[in-house]
Amino acid sequence: MLALLQVLASGIAIGCVYGLVALSFVLIYKATETVSFMQGELLMLGAFAALGLHLGAGLPLALAAAGAVASMALLGAGLERAVLRRAIGQPHLVAVLLTFGLGLMVRGGIAAVPVATQGMYRLPFADGSVQLGPLTLASGHLLVIGATVILAGLLALFFRFTRAGLALRACSEDARVAALMGVPVDRMHTLAWSLGAALAAVAGLLLAPITFVHLNMGLVALKAFPAAVLGGLTSLPGALAGGVFLGVVEAVAGLLLPEGVKDAVPYALLLVVLLLFPGGFAGGGARSGR
Amino acid sequence: MRLLSTLLAAVLATVPLSAAATPGVSEREIVVGTISDLSGPTALLGVPVRDGMLMRFEEANAAGGVHGRSVRLAVEDAGYDPKRGILAARKLIQRDRAFAFIANLGTPVVMATMPMVLDAGRLHLFPFSPHEATYSPLHPLKFQVFAPYQEYMEAGTRHMVGRGGYARSCLLYQDDDYGLEVMKGVESGLAQLGKALVTKTSYKRGATDLSSQVARLRAADCDLVVLATVVRETVAAVSEARRIGWEVDMLVTASGYSAQTHELGGAAVEGLYGISVLPHPYAEGASPALAGWIERYRSRFGAAPNVWSVMGYTLADLFVRAAEAAGPTLTAERFAAALEALRSPPDFFGSPQYRFDPTDHLGNRHGRLAQIRNGRWELLTDYLE
Amino acid sequence: MSAPGALRRVAPWLLLLLAAGVWLGPDYALGQATMVATYAIAGLGVVIVVGQAGQVTFGQGALVALGAYAEAVLAGRGVPVILSLPAAVALGAAGGALASLPAWRLGGLYFGMSTLAFALLVEEALVRWEGLTRGAAGLATPALALAGVALDAPLAQALASLATLLCALFFCRRLLASRLGRAWRAVREDEAAAEACGIDAARAKTLAFAVGGALSGLAGALYAHWIGFISPEQFGLMFSFELLMLAFIGGARRLAGAAWGALVIVAIPQGIAVLRDLLPGDWARAAGLEAMLFGAVIVAVVLLRPGGIAGRR
Repeated sequence: MLALLQVLASGIAIGCVYGLVALSFVLIYKATETVSFMQGELLMLGAFAALGLHLGAGLPLALAAAGAVASMALLGAGLERAVLRRAIGQPHLVAVLLTFGLGLMVRGGIAAVPVATQGMYRLPFADGSVQLGPLTLASGHLLVIGATVILAGLLALFFRFTRAGLALRACSEDARVAALMGVPVDRMHTLAWSLGAALAAVAGLLLAPITFVHLNMGLVALKAFPAAVLGGLTSLPGALAGGVFLGVVEAVAGLLLPEGVKDAVPYALLLVVLLLFPGGFAGGGARSGR
Repeated sequence: MRLLSTLLAAVLATVPLSAAATPGVSEREIVVGTISDLSGPTALLGVPVRDGMLMRFEEANAAGGVHGRSVRLAVEDAGYDPKRGILAARKLIQRDRAFAFIANLGTPVVMATMPMVLDAGRLHLFPFSPHEATYSPLHPLKFQVFAPYQEYMEAGTRHMVGRGGYARSCLLYQDDDYGLEVMKGVESGLAQLGKALVTKTSYKRGATDLSSQVARLRAADCDLVVLATVVRETVAAVSEARRIGWEVDMLVTASGYSAQTHELGGAAVEGLYGISVLPHPYAEGASPALAGWIERYRSRFGAAPNVWSVMGYTLADLFVRAAEAAGPTLTAERFAAALEALRSPPDFFGSPQYRFDPTDHLGNRHGRLAQIRNGRWELLTDYLE
Repeated sequence: MSAPGALRRVAPWLLLLLAAGVWLGPDYALGQATMVATYAIAGLGVVIVVGQAGQVTFGQGALVALGAYAEAVLAGRGVPVILSLPAAVALGAAGGALASLPAWRLGGLYFGMSTLAFALLVEEALVRWEGLTRGAAGLATPALALAGVALDAPLAQALASLATLLCALFFCRRLLASRLGRAWRAVREDEAAAEACGIDAARAKTLAFAVGGALSGLAGALYAHWIGFISPEQFGLMFSFELLMLAFIGGARRLAGAAWGALVIVAIPQGIAVLRDLLPGDWARAAGLEAMLFGAVIVAVVLLRPGGIAGRR
């Protein structure tokens, strides 16, 4: 029982990382209709940026983290302005390939820095563990959960009460109507990408105590797609919930199901959910596809 | 159409039909090819290995080369993709006319390219693949120094279990060719002691969290866990076990024997056992010769060397020694004969002695037991037979 | 297609091949041609599914894997190629049909995700079914033997794959001109309108996937022979993406797009590797340079030629 609870806690924490990446993906998809296959690379880049600012430039860790997230936000905006804007209104595949190509460039760029390929690095925070009754939780895991809750709250406030947030929502609902209402749709797209990149960077920072910072840490984004789909692709809370659900299912399946089954479970589950609820959990099955 | 046939004729005319000399060996140069992974999933291994080799070849060239010839390392990045590997091999064979291939990386790449390398009559030296086919069946041009994990994990397991009296041995493995090789070794090591694995559980490369695997192993009440993991998963598995208060003994393969394991794992990985096939080059407490080498490496490549850099350096060193011994007229046959007669002398790294003979082209089968004590790997035994 | 027209089309390919032969040696050029043709066959499958029937697929690599494994397992047991090749094609087609089933209920990106899940499940099955596939340890494949003669010379391999590609192209041309081809294009343009015209859209999609899967299975069978050693991770997501890129960069609307795309996907990384050798000093040593340039090429092609290389007439 204790083992189950322990595993469950880890599953929730990892699920939060899946959820955050899924969130960044859905945020971009919803606002700009572009499917981004570079969230994993952005995540990695964000973590490396913090690492560079902390170890390379000698900034204190908190400042380095903030700097990394801010610069990733800028990069997201810049990429949208320079390149990704062209994918809007095109078939999904255009965006898929554009982001895939940009992702390769990011990955190659990092790999070209000699120290980046010499090993893994850690960002020195949240190393210890916390005793909660009979449970022992990694502080890295607790940090992920806490940060995810706070971020979700902040995003909810942003979308409900700020002008930009409302405009972004309007834009996601119906870009043409929003434009007629005087919402600067172009700028909203830039905002969405910059938020999406920043979120990915945050996920990268939160992942750093768990998997360390290295060239392949972006692989975690592969789990974010199922998470986003489980959540219905267009629902922000759904993406988060989908991520947590996936993390928990993986962890529990790993403990309870026969050896060898757990790696197939998330994808089998994804197929089942897609077939039962064609619009994802949050889509409720009412909207079939798009 | 006439244009095309003229072109074709022109092309055929420019293709060197056959060169009398040994390919890749000229008056001034020996070309050595390597098909590595500099940007793919095993780049963390490929880059330091390449740098180590570069360093040794540059040293040899600075010292006047091998019988007056400088050694040039032609590097191709296949990124663990066999298709790119095949094209890289063809290019190295035909365009660069590589005399030998050294330290090709990744089982799919190695398995896909080895036949054409051998068909072209080029040496296939010391690939990074645990596959048995890299040295067996015996082929005059195939040489290997990396014992398949199976060989030394068998000895390592036998030694650990025999000495420590463990009753319930378990395995956590990466579900690829590497993990399977280790599993075979551990199972046969245990079988020799009349034991069997109590349970085994796997993870996929790139898995984020190992808590369910560790919980599973704990539920099986293991008293020794063999880890067929790489650095990150080693740290994750050991930390997870310690966090939930499980002080089980763990033994990791040579893939987890890395300074990164304790740099990243900190106090949690204290006491972890590991198999070492080459000692890590620690700067602290290094002999003057080793300290000088570390400094040279650092100033050349901008990063501290690790055990893989030593590996690359050692492989290149074996090449240079064999080429020296082969004499001024260098051919693949002479080189192979020289390598078969070579006994590598003790070096400042503390490498094992690599020795080949005409019936056995696997240069080393042994690893030694090590343990993390006070934040660094300490060697516990000599090379285990 | 008139004879001079055909020549004009084939001429650039021959010239490229010749240039590569001069620059890098004939075996290299032939090896390159072999891979380009093999990838082009798999790419034709994607062109049918994505470009003609208008469906998204992220899992074509798994269908190639099915063909490759069918061929490797059968050839390893001494089954002649005349039997094993059709089996590989059939397995690919069956896999394609299976992967398309969710399309009955799903559309667009959701369906794309289901193909992703399908591909990952296939990969997992290949890892776990050790008795047949030797799991993650990989499976060696003997050289392709035609009537007792092993095709292991680069020239023979290049000719075999080019001939197969031409047959596949011919077959696809006929198919696209048929009723089914028209049904695919109708479904692509507007599924509801196609249904209203009496086209069974679900059936058309399933057939598109079956044909796409058959072509991918065929390519997989050849690939297994050329590489000589297959393992599940070779056919992962990255491979599916390569095929998708291939079709898109070449131009998914036209069959020739598959060939152009294969040329870009297979040859560009090699070209970059050659150019890198010309760079001075430590620049050539930078590990990620090739990935970076390859990414830049993809971005540039998508931006500059959104219809693909073969897209405009």
